[in-house]
Amino acid sequence: MAWIAKNSATMQIERRDEPYLTDALKKQLEDQVIPRYDTRMAATMPALHLVQDTHGWLPHQAMEEIAEFLGLTASHVLDTATFYEEYWLKPHGKYVIWVCQSLSCELLGQPSLLEKIKGHLGIEVGETTDDGRFTLMGVECLGSCGTAPCALVNHKLHENITADNFQSVLDSLE
Amino acid sequence: MTTLKEPVLTKRIPTHPWGDPTDRKVVSYKQYVKTDGYKGLKNALAMEPSDVVDLVKAAEVRGRGGAGFPAGMKWSFLPPEDGGRRYLAINSDESEPGTFKDRLLIDFDPHIIIEGIAICMHACRLDTAYFYIRGEYHHQREVFEAAIKEAYENKIFGKGSKLGQINGRDPDLFLHRGAGAYVCGEETALLESLEGKRGWPRIKPPFPAVAGAFGRPTIINNVETLAICTPILERGEDGPKWFQSMGTQRPEGAPPHVPASFGPKLFGVSGHVNRPGVYEEELGITLKDLIEGLCQGMLNGKKYKSAIPGGISTGVLGPDEYDVRLDFDITKYDTLGLGTAGVIVMDEDTCMVGVARNIAHFFGHESCGQCTPCREGTNWMSKMLSRIEAGDGTTRDLDLLLEIAGSMGALPSGRGATICGLADGANWAVRTIVNKFWDEFEAKVSKQRFVSLSVVGS
Ligand SMILES: Cc1cc2nc3c(=O)[nH]c(=O)nc-3n(C[C@H](O)[C@H](O)[C@H](O)COP(=O)(O)O)c2cc1C
Ligand code: SF4
Ligand code: FES
Repeated sequence: MAWIAKNSATMQIERRDEPYLTDALKKQLEDQVIPRYDTRMAATMPALHLVQDTHGWLPHQAMEEIAEFLGLTASHVLDTATFYEEYWLKPHGKYVIWVCQSLSCELLGQPSLLEKIKGHLGIEVGETTDDGRFTLMGVECLGSCGTAPCALVNHKLHENITADNFQSVLDSLE
Repeated sequence: MTTLKEPVLTKRIPTHPWGDPTDRKVVSYKQYVKTDGYKGLKNALAMEPSDVVDLVKAAEVRGRGGAGFPAGMKWSFLPPEDGGRRYLAINSDESEPGTFKDRLLIDFDPHIIIEGIAICMHACRLDTAYFYIRGEYHHQREVFEAAIKEAYENKIFGKGSKLGQINGRDPDLFLHRGAGAYVCGEETALLESLEGKRGWPRIKPPFPAVAGAFGRPTIINNVETLAICTPILERGEDGPKWFQSMGTQRPEGAPPHVPASFGPKLFGVSGHVNRPGVYEEELGITLKDLIEGLCQGMLNGKKYKSAIPGGISTGVLGPDEYDVRLDFDITKYDTLGLGTAGVIVMDEDTCMVGVARNIAHFFGHESCGQCTPCREGTNWMSKMLSRIEAGDGTTRDLDLLLEIAGSMGALPSGRGATICGLADGANWAVRTIVNKFWDEFEAKVSKQRFVSLSVVGS
């Protein structure tokens, strides 16, 4: 988990007329997810995943809609969403690069690799390139220590990466 | 020297020295059944549930998720059935740095896990199982979802299940996707996460076997623990004897309640070795044999310096501990135990201050923040170690580091000051590194005395 600073109490929630949690998504949750659990609250994480997989990130309005649908308070949904690293409360680049920074990867050259990626993209960890294509993130052990160093690009794992082979991975992305 | 006679968990997953990892493919339900798959479940279903529990107890299977708690004993802590739901939560959070063994089973032989799950559900009368898989395992999630589908199609679960009805319900297995939080591997944090909340570990008691998921009796086991029950049940009555022909006996002179370390075990080896990867060996193989045999020696012909036996929470082994036996009783060598058997090997050129800094950073980042000693202490250690590594530390810092580390943890060595074991991991890792490599830390802080003005007077 990571500590994510909360927005101040004076923040304005951006709203749009069209809901994020569409009727189709609600039906999917109602039919396939909610029956799996003893409480509706237990569908919080699946609902957050579903909305994020559809929309890319989790606007506050979407979390309010999830709360209403599951019969929870908006603060509960926000509380859960902010605890987990994978939920995005702000938009990110088209490709999110998650570079593993844990021990096995560091032992096999992750720090110099990360420097090269930063130089190539011209951004620091946590930032997005100006063209909106890449967001660079540090992440803890990806469970791929035997093929270190490694990184995820969106949902795809890249193992045994070097500055060169990773460069061609990035170049091959649109 | 390797001692395991034939692959057990890796029977269908080509692995050195029996097979070539480049030949690995996902084993489908059909292929699994063709190679004696679901025979263990068949044997289990022919037995009374309580006899299955007794069999696993007799085999003395110890949990493979980190703590090494005997699985059969855990299963017998459940209260009698009352007609209400009872759960199984399978711990597939696998986030401990250095650990990637469960992933091998999910990637290539998901049905060996599913069979173990079904055996446990029958034995313990559990009607609903949740496979809690870490969020970053995207490919693994797809493979496992497909295997679950096959299992439903072949009536392992669902309506008309071979298990029959349990607690008046058709048995179900669902996948629950995590979202990036190491602490959710702690069993009660996992339950909170399953219930849709932030992953804050619960204060125990009550233990999950009595009041777990949704307040109901729940068994939580690691992926490999359930998988290893499959080959045991496959051998029926002979299972325990076969299982105990591998591994090591309880240490001489140990009190009777201390269990032995039986069976084969998956070792995930990473770091400075020539051939890293997941290997299956008997518990009790020495670190030296693991490195020089299966891993084909140290990378670039360098010398061994240190290793972490089972994920960074277990602390480090020093240069003089190259011969340790990797079994659950490795504790006598001053580590927190075998942990997950995720072995990280470090060569002579490794800076141990940097290793400590990396590890402390991890714990600082992953602390859930519930207990003050852990929330503040891990981040404090992380900052101090960065400072020491940069050459701005003092000798006093080293004593302070040991003091902070020793002030956190759920175990007596951490003064029982925290709710869960994450803090014990931080405590052990930092203390063992600083103690075993004191000279290296001292050199780092004393050298600066002469070159950095900022230290003068501090
Ligand atoms: C901070 C922390 C993280 C843990 N992470 C995992 C994990 O990723 N996978 C796992 O199986 N056990 C993990 N455990 C151990 C579990 O709490 C629990 O002991 C284990 O899942 C029980 O299964 P077993 O008896 O089959 O080993 C973790 C424990 C702690 C304290
Ligand atoms: S020890 Fe650390 S991780 Fe565990 S409950 Fe306390 S603060 Fe959370
Ligand atoms: S340390 Fe990088 S994947 Fe495990």
